Amino acid sequence: MTRRDVLQGVAVLLGGVLSSSVAGAILGCSPRRVGSAGWRPRTLTPEQNELVATIAELILPATDTPGAREAGVNEFVDLLLTDWLDAQGRDGFLTGLAGFESACQAGTGRPFLELSHDEQMTVLVPLDEEAAELRQAARAAGLTEVDDPPFFLTMKEWTLAGYYTSEIGMTQELQHLRISGSYAGCRPLAEVGRSWA
Amino acid sequence: MSSPVTYDAIVVGSGITGGWAAKELTENGLETLLLERGRPVEHGKDYVGEHKTDWELPYRGWGDRQLYEKDYQVQSHCYAFGEDTRHFFVKDTEHPYQHDSDKPFRWIRGYHLGGRSLMWARQCYRWSDLDFEANARDGFGVDWPIRYADLAPWYHYVESFIGVSGQAEGIPQLPDGRFLPPMEMNCVEHAVRERIGAAFSGRVMTIGRTAVLTQPHRGRAACHYCGPCHRGCSSGSYFSSLSSTLPAAVATGKLTVRTHSIVQSVLYDEEKDRAVGVRVIDAVSKEAVELYARVIFLCASTLGSTQILLNSTSPRFPDGLANSSGALGHYLMDHTFQAGATAEMPGFEDQYYHGYRPNGTYLARFRNVDEPHPDFLRGYAFQGGAWREGWWRGAREPGLGAELKQALREPGPWMMNLGGFGECLPRYENYVELDHENPDAWGIPQLEVHCTWSDNEDRIRQDARETAAEMLEAAGGRDILTYDRGAPPGFCIHEMGTARMGRDPETSVLNGWNQAHDVPNLFVTDGAAMASTACQNPSVTYMALTARACGHAVAEMKRGNL
Repeated sequence: MTRRDVLQGVAVLLGGVLSSSVAGAILGCSPRRVGSAGWRPRTLTPEQNELVATIAELILPATDTPGAREAGVNEFVDLLLTDWLDAQGRDGFLTGLAGFESACQAGTGRPFLELSHDEQMTVLVPLDEEAAELRQAARAAGLTEVDDPPFFLTMKEWTLAGYYTSEIGMTQELQHLRISGSYAGCRPLAEVGRSWA
Repeated sequence: MSSPVTYDAIVVGSGITGGWAAKELTENGLETLLLERGRPVEHGKDYVGEHKTDWELPYRGWGDRQLYEKDYQVQSHCYAFGEDTRHFFVKDTEHPYQHDSDKPFRWIRGYHLGGRSLMWARQCYRWSDLDFEANARDGFGVDWPIRYADLAPWYHYVESFIGVSGQAEGIPQLPDGRFLPPMEMNCVEHAVRERIGAAFSGRVMTIGRTAVLTQPHRGRAACHYCGPCHRGCSSGSYFSSLSSTLPAAVATGKLTVRTHSIVQSVLYDEEKDRAVGVRVIDAVSKEAVELYARVIFLCASTLGSTQILLNSTSPRFPDGLANSSGALGHYLMDHTFQAGATAEMPGFEDQYYHGYRPNGTYLARFRNVDEPHPDFLRGYAFQGGAWREGWWRGAREPGLGAELKQALREPGPWMMNLGGFGECLPRYENYVELDHENPDAWGIPQLEVHCTWSDNEDRIRQDARETAAEMLEAAGGRDILTYDRGAPPGFCIHEMGTARMGRDPETSVLNGWNQAHDVPNLFVTDGAAMASTACQNPSVTYMALTARACGHAVAEMKRGNL
């Protein structure tokens, strides 16, 4: 079986034509991580998984520390969708994800995953500004949750939570001690260094 | 059937007061049976959530939402409930209770050896005569049969044993205790303390007085600052029955512990006019057994003890044991809380803190101390603290990519919270009764709770919001947000009353020694005994009352009166 056959077979299996980047990710011929060894999404399709992992990585990319993809944010999202949300919440997120993709295609003429990094960021920035405005309005009203949140608001929250509660996020990006041993109330930030996870 | 076993004393419940009763009674030579309705918990080994990091929890601390909605609808609201502690909370589906649909009541419970002493918030504040005289002063409730002088030596006694860290301040309405060295305030808390003290005379904010060890104490290690005490502490650095009182009781060789033992009722012998024992349902087999003793201590929690008494009926006490007054079940109270303000505190951006401090700050009561307030009786105190915001602020601020990540690497703005804890008036119409139509899985009638806040508690919360905002403003805060989260009764987990102490047997259940007026060998030393709530966290007062009651019971037994 040639690589091309495999690709076509996967495409048939998924019921559609794959973009090269998705197929590459699925087939493991790209360095991009789609999940821990042996992990397979339980709710997300491979395409949705790749889209989620890509958006998460755009929100919190690899820099001098690993980013959201390496920290498995997509696995956290799939866990929440599968076991944490009820059917209504799950459908809401997946509908939002599909709406995100179709809005992108309507606006740019291409699937999100085929856009360049800069083009992808251009799609995300207005969604991020809208989400922040909604969050701030809720906070000013004394609410902890936003009613009927748009897709990107949820996606950003889950990305932040999935990343900063991961071992990478807590120990490589921020700092964490299982046991701090002592408490010092006032210490120069320069000495403490990064934010406590 | 084997012949009945008789003990000197039976203690019902192994939480904060049951542990103290077991310790005091056994150390005074009494063969004591401790009954716990839940499962055994082994100190250390069974603290399965201890030292887990977020990434080691299945839902990273967000919890198993579907399970909580199914089985933990009430418990899951508790701040201490989570993936790391769920095993210390009851399933609401297994332990149901009733309340009026328009009067929500949250009953937070842990049925296991050690009870809620494992998950408690550890804050320890003495009461003063401002509190013990409150009922007599304004006429709500009955006068306390004791004053601060009666309890002061017992506060000293229990604090010396459990270890309470704190700062002596000389505040008359918040008497100093016997303190281990205080934990440190952080930079902003120091500044807020000074600025509030300068702007408002008589308002003192101190570091929380907490039953967490800041130095080794009686064979227990000092705190290692891992943070979430309520997961259990294998080094025994905070007070719980398992770290402190039960080991002392076991060391006497006079303690028998029986878990999975649900006390259905107290047995009363009409001829002897005494309580003679308890009827126990085995939680697993559901078999009943009767166990006997010379004195009975109910330490089953406020509502647990009252439920047992209400369910202990006889021709002499058709409405519940020791209830000739008719007060049993009535005058249920809780602290009214979750009203206050939060502010951003600029000016300390180059400062931070190191480590996880399991404690906050405490701003002592200042209302109705020297002069009466026009809008409400009694008062409130503020618990709170300052911190720097973390990564979650990224959800409400725009930003993406490497820039966002870099920004969240730094701690966010300093924030300061002042959350009011207010006193609740004792009122007859806040009460519990038995729902005989709805027995639980062990055939015991469920409790039906009827409880709501009065105008006085509503006004206390309103004033707490306003004064919190005023003080934060005076302390240099900006973007001040006031809040009242509408916490229903029960949710502060300071439920009190329903078998109150008092001087008059016609209006109270217990005398000044936590001893039933009607049945002298029956003692109730948990929160049920409280005749008012003050605004301080009550547990250390329960401990002092329990130790004092045990001393009285032992003395009466020696005198041949019991």
